[in-house]
Parts: sequence; C-alpha cells; structure tokens
Amino acid sequence: MSRLDSKTSGIINFLDLRKPSVKALYYILLFISCCIAFVCLAPPLWVFLSSLKNIKEFAQVPPTIIPHTFEPQKIITTWKTLNFTKYYINSFILVAGSVVCAIVFNGLAGYVISIIKPRGYRFVFNLILWSLMIPATINLVPIFKNIVALKLNNSYIPLWLSYGANAFYVLLFKNFFDEIPREIIEAAKIDGCPNLRLFYKIVMPLSVPIIMVVTIFSINASWSDFLLPYIVLKNRESYTVMIKIYEMSFGNTWMSADMKMLAVLYAILPPVVLVIFFQKYLTQGVVIGGLK
Amino acid sequence: MNKKMSGKLSNRLSENISGWLILAPSIILFTFYIWEPMIYSLVLSVHETKGFRMERFVGLQNYIDVLKDNVFHQALINTFFYVIWSLIIGFLVPIVVALIINEMVHLNSFFRFSIYFPNMVPGVAALVLWGFLFDPSEGGLLNAIRIKLGLQPSDWLQNPKLTIPLLIFIMTWKAAGSTALIYIARLQGINQELYEAACIDGAGIFRRIVHITLPELYSTARMLLIMQIIFVFQVLYEPLVLTGGGPNNASLSLMLLSYNYAFVDFVAGKSATVSVLVTLILMCLTFIYMKATKENNNV
Repeated sequence: MSRLDSKTSGIINFLDLRKPSVKALYYILLFISCCIAFVCLAPPLWVFLSSLKNIKEFAQVPPTIIPHTFEPQKIITTWKTLNFTKYYINSFILVAGSVVCAIVFNGLAGYVISIIKPRGYRFVFNLILWSLMIPATINLVPIFKNIVALKLNNSYIPLWLSYGANAFYVLLFKNFFDEIPREIIEAAKIDGCPNLRLFYKIVMPLSVPIIMVVTIFSINASWSDFLLPYIVLKNRESYTVMIKIYEMSFGNTWMSADMKMLAVLYAILPPVVLVIFFQKYLTQGVVIGGLK
Repeated sequence: MNKKMSGKLSNRLSENISGWLILAPSIILFTFYIWEPMIYSLVLSVHETKGFRMERFVGLQNYIDVLKDNVFHQALINTFFYVIWSLIIGFLVPIVVALIINEMVHLNSFFRFSIYFPNMVPGVAALVLWGFLFDPSEGGLLNAIRIKLGLQPSDWLQNPKLTIPLLIFIMTWKAAGSTALIYIARLQGINQELYEAACIDGAGIFRRIVHITLPELYSTARMLLIMQIIFVFQVLYEPLVLTGGGPNNASLSLMLLSYNYAFVDFVAGKSATVSVLVTLILMCLTFIYMKATKENNNV
C-alpha cells in the first residue's frame, strides 16, 4: 500500500490513488501489464519447456500445453549432437570482427567529420547522411557482386567490413564528439599531438558511453545477421548460428522438432545474457537510437 | 611575417591531408557497400543480365517487363497491405504499453525487461520460434489451445487471408518493446508540474492524458510513424523465412520479389529494377519524414 502512497510521477498520482475507483483502475492496469509481460515472455519459454519434454510426451498429438516431463540433460546432449560449439565459435568470430570494424571505421569517420573537418568534408558527410536513407537490403545484389569480384566469398572479411560502413553509427559518433569541449582538443593540438594519437589518446577515452552503445548495437546486429552471411558463407564449416538455424528449420527434415527448438534456444541465449549484463547501456542506446 | 604565414598554410595543408587520410578507409568502405552498389543497381536495371553479368543495354525494357508482371502487382499491393496492417496492429501497441507500464510502481523493472525481451531474440530465431507456435498441424501450440477450447485447428500462416496480419503480429511482438522504451523515456521527460497544475484545475485522469500526455508524445509518435512505414515497406525476412511468399504469393513483398529474382531466378537485372523502384518509393516517404522531423526541430 505504501508504494501507492508515494507515487508522485506519471499521470496518476498518490492523491488519485486514494479514490477506490482509481485504485481499482491501477490494479486492472497492473493485471494488464502482467498480461503484456506474459505475451512477451511466454512464447520462448513454452518452446524451451516443451523441447525438454521426454520423447513420448513430445510426440503426443495434440501437444500438452503445460509440459509434464522435464529432461534438462537434453540441452547438453543436443548441443553435442548438433556440434553447436563450432557454430558458436563461428558466430563469435563474426561478432568480434564486426564490433572492431564498427567502432574503428565509423569512429574515425565521425572523428574527422566532427573534429578535424578537412576542406570538403561536408560533401562526404552529406553522402553519408544520404546513405542513412538507403535501405541495406536493396543493395544486396551489387554488394554480392563486389564481394565475388574480390574473391572474398566464403570469408568473414566482407561481413566484418560491412559493419565499418554504417551511416547511423557514424552519426552517433559524430554527435557525441560534437559535445567534447574544444579546449581539450585545442590544447592537445598545441602540444603537437598528431591527429591519430589525438583520436585514441584523448577522444576515445572520453567517449566510453557511445562506444558502449555502438558495441552493444553491433554485437546484437552481427549476432542476428542472417542474409549477407547466408549468401556469402556457402561453406558448411563456416556457418554461423543463424544460418544453421535457418538451414535446420527449412532444409533437412531428419532432425527432430525438439532438437530444432533447442537450437533456437541456443541462438537466443547470448543476446539475453548480454542484455542482463548491460541493461543500463541498452535502454540508453535504444533511446539514443530511436530519437536520432 | 611571410615565414609565419607559410608555416600556418602548410600546417593547414597537412591537417587537411591527414584528415582525408584518416577518412579514406571509411570512404572506401562506404563506396564498396553503399554508394557504388546503388549506382550499379541503376546501371544493372537498364541491362539484360545473365546471372550477375551484364549482357547488353536494353533501356527501360526491364522496367516495362517488371511493371507488366502480375507478380509485381501482387507484391506491390501486398507491401501496402503490410504497411496498413502494421499501422493497425503495430503503431498503437507501443504507445499504450508505454502509457501503462510507465504508471506501474510494482514490478516496474521486470515489466521493462519483459517488453524488451522479444527484441533480443535474433530475427531468424524469433521467426522459427513463431513457426512452431503457428504450426498448422495439430501439433502446434495455438492449434492445441484451439482444440482444447473445442474449435477446429486453423491453418494460420497457410491461410492467405491471415498470413500478412499474422506476419505483422510477429513483427510487432518483436519490435514493440524497444519502441515502447522510447515512448517511456519521452513520458519521463514530461514536466511533472504540468500534471500538478492540471490536478489543481480539477482535470481527471482522462483529461490529463488527452491534454498533456498525448500532445507531449505527438512529435515522437509522428517521427516513429514514418520510420515504421519505411521499415515495414522493406519487409523481407518474415515472408522469406516463414512462408516463402506463399501461400500462392499472398505474402510476397517487393523486397522478397527482388530477392527471388536475384537468388532464385538469377535475373539480376529485374532484381535491380525492383530495388530501384522500392528506393524511389522510399525516397518519397523519406521526404515526408524529413519534413516531419524538420518541423519537430522548430517546435
């Protein structure tokens, strides 16, 4: 009760909540919130729980809505059967390279545009702003042709580098660098600090929050990335988790459905862990990203 | 004096050179992934192609062929249906969710975590997951529930009338949380004194929402509306993964058509043509978006 008495923010305040009708409304809204949370969490949870049913219950038609059996060791046996360690390593390789490219190249571009401003930089900046409006998937065919022309298909390099050309990240960096006090930069320049050293000795250490935001964005994006990897990586040995999941669900049918469900779970797990650890930065990132 | 001037000049010059050198890698990458492909798409769209190779210049023939194609008409109409359904199903949901969750004093951070949760589920994984739930056989969860309730099992995504709304439902499930977080941030930026003043004037909860909350959300909502339209217009993953554009092209979108031309039929020219047409439509929409955000800045 005391919690409702101290509510001072939002549309409904503690004075309203003294009325029984408003209090009832609050509890109805609380119930609705619980329903919303249920709709958000239940589908993955159901898939997870039902993939851990024993074979007999799993094969039952119609399926049981609330599972009766529970065999958590299936998580490990399926992992081993599907050899998921390999796909995890591949995905991690993809993510690591993508994050480095996303920070280094977009960060440098933002730095030049925001701080060095060489003659004619504005033209490049406008071109970059323009590409913000060009949807990535539209260029798929010519990008693929470019990659083939350099004989980079079946390699992670073009996938990594694709994160180095992200207009949105450039803009995030540029806007953040604009806020750095000019005195600091001028002082360093007078001391004869070359531009590149200025970038990694002074600008980058001051920009940890935005680096975190771009890191989380690019980890999420490259972990979930599907289309370009699917087209570029044709060698089974270099499949990432997402390609494997797509291929499993629609390619070979020999695999049992509970295995497929667990594989989906493996794909969801890393981003969930990421968010639990970096929740603060993530909410911040969503808001910065949404209100560009 | 002269020496000093030339020193300054060369300093400025070296500053320019080092600036461009640092920018060079990014320029190369942007050229490789965005600018050159854009121009190449244009070139490709006026050529006859064999696989990904250009054979000969054909002018606007690809455009004529594509625009005459019934499948293109279907995809164009479908894409607009995607957008319309996303406005019906998807646009209001985040606003309402944000309004409700922002009022909660109980379990507040749990609710925020849960609404953001679907966002963390990678695209393909989320689609495969919903594929299990919408399984049209009696083995799917939603059909199991229908049977429990004494109803006939439904075809779900295999029903041409339901397929687009259901795909939009899945997209909303996945994306509404992060949009709601944006609205929540906006709601928390509203000056609390406005509500207090309204209280003193005797405004009820409903009137506070209509006269204070909604106007404060208006500019954010207008911007997110255009962004959502542009985003949904490019729908590709959902029909590609879940329905393959079926049943009978009922969920085929323009981007999926472009994908099919390129990577299924191997006619890159036509694929590029569709891409160019989509870009043109999106440019019109972007123009509206620019206007909308410009007005925002003036407010």
